[in-house]
Amino acid sequence: MGALYAMIGIGLTIVFGVMRIINLAHGEMVMAGMFAAYLGQKHWGLDPFLSILLWAPVLFLAGVALYRFLLARVLPGGELNTLLYTAGLSLLIANAALLLFSGDYRTLTLGYAIVPLRPFGIAIPVALAIGFALAVAITTALWLFLGRTDLGRAIRATSQNREAAILMGIDVDRVAAVSFGLGTALAGAAGVLLAPSLYLYPTVGELVIVKAFVIVVLGGLGSVPGAVAGGLLLGTVESLGAVYVSSTYKDGLGYVLFLLVLLYRPSGIFGVGRS
Amino acid sequence: MKGRGALAAGGVALLAAAGLPLVVHNSFVLHLCILVFLWATLGEAWNVLGGFAGQVSFGHAALFGLGAYATAILYLRAEVAPWWGIPLGGLAAAAVSVPTGLVAFRLRGPYFSLATLAVAELMKLVALNWEWATNGPTGFLITSLPPLHLLGLPMDWEAKAPFYLAALAMMGLAMGTVAALSSSRLGAYLVAIRENEDAAEAVGIDTVRAKVVTLALSGFLTGIAGGFYVLYFRYIDPDAVLNLGISMEMVFIAVVGGLGTVLGPLVGALCLTFAGETVRERFGAGHLIFYGLFMMLVIRFLPEGIWGRASKLIDRLSPKEARPGAPRG
Repeated sequence: MGALYAMIGIGLTIVFGVMRIINLAHGEMVMAGMFAAYLGQKHWGLDPFLSILLWAPVLFLAGVALYRFLLARVLPGGELNTLLYTAGLSLLIANAALLLFSGDYRTLTLGYAIVPLRPFGIAIPVALAIGFALAVAITTALWLFLGRTDLGRAIRATSQNREAAILMGIDVDRVAAVSFGLGTALAGAAGVLLAPSLYLYPTVGELVIVKAFVIVVLGGLGSVPGAVAGGLLLGTVESLGAVYVSSTYKDGLGYVLFLLVLLYRPSGIFGVGRS
Repeated sequence: MKGRGALAAGGVALLAAAGLPLVVHNSFVLHLCILVFLWATLGEAWNVLGGFAGQVSFGHAALFGLGAYATAILYLRAEVAPWWGIPLGGLAAAAVSVPTGLVAFRLRGPYFSLATLAVAELMKLVALNWEWATNGPTGFLITSLPPLHLLGLPMDWEAKAPFYLAALAMMGLAMGTVAALSSSRLGAYLVAIRENEDAAEAVGIDTVRAKVVTLALSGFLTGIAGGFYVLYFRYIDPDAVLNLGISMEMVFIAVVGGLGTVLGPLVGALCLTFAGETVRERFGAGHLIFYGLFMMLVIRFLPEGIWGRASKLIDRLSPKEARPGAPRG
């Protein structure tokens, strides 16, 4: 789970870094990815893992459009308003999905992923293993994109210092649109990868968003390596907690960790974000 | 909306509203009004902290659930009559807010919001798993309420009217508190904190204390509303009262109505409850879609909220006699 958590966290943290807003609709974007994978398989027989090639670009465009036509207009209203705006967006998307798909729990089954892999005597579900591998690949690709390309550098520059980026001739508005699209695509892609391993239901975003916050704050808001570390850490804490403490309180462990980090190290483990 | 005139107008409006059950016997209309009063109380409670002090909490469901659970547990396990249980539930919520606030208020802005979210999720986990006290996921069902004679008349708990009056009184209490607060010294402190916390601290305001007191007040009002919820719906479980959705709805009501205003939450609750219930009747699922839509439209076009904008317009149109009018978009 760790790598998938990391992917969701990176999307959130990039958007926060560039736009200084916490996107409360991030969980719904993951949900959209899950349903896209489900519908793709049901109606067109698309393999969920291959369908990521289709859904990631679609969600990227959707994210850019969301930014251009909706978010960009409220950004001047201040942080609080934008935060609440994304809360409204989140409710709108979740309930639109509820209207369209009803609240039933669905599962997506893969013919080849019923028997778990058993390397070294540990049972690993195939779907989770493929999801993990793809998440690692996507994260690496993103890392290269942010580090090596002009656009990636522009995104990092904007998130470090917006004013300086403007002075250097970076079109900050365009960068923000791309980052929001990227964040949406990452969330959606994580959703696609998660779809075979989780139950699908329209309000699954609620569960995801809280975890995403924990991850991002653990690593430091705005920091991409932090989000990776936070995701892996949360995944590990949850799995170990489920084994050694109690499976009912495993989610609670994540929150406790979260509160501790918030209180004692609000800039995150990596200390990149500022409080 | 200033001074004694406003207070008198509010009192008259409350009395007039109290007479409604004598005229209207349609129980659906009364039910809608009860929901509006309940949500207006919650919006008001949230608004004290979020609107006046600018501390955006995403975890008020924790206080709501605490009040609800306290009232239900006291009644079902210790046979404390609910009309004592409700204020006790409010006090329990206030009591929990103080240590939580002392810790959480070390954080600012989005970090504070995220911490409240985590606290609420923790509370929900506790309610789900601490079966000894909370019955876990099954929750509590209240089958009957104790008989009560008021002014020599027996209360009919199956009718809507007693709940209507109780909800109205609760909302009156919340509004009165907020109105009193907004013209008090503490209210001024809170606005100063909202506008610039460092500056407020620099002029000698004990910001943590002001925020904690406000949170306790907000917690008390939220807890009372939680207790009322249990009595009215007679059923609670962790998903019903400790849901993230409840926290968000409180935020929405305050924002749609107008942050930092006294009448705003009532206006917000009116708009959202009517929109929500109408859609619920027609489509069943997904009635919260309008909450989201409303929220987005209001922030986009009326960032100061419906009542916030309306009261500005009224002030501009009639600077001498400020009177409440129909909210305008």
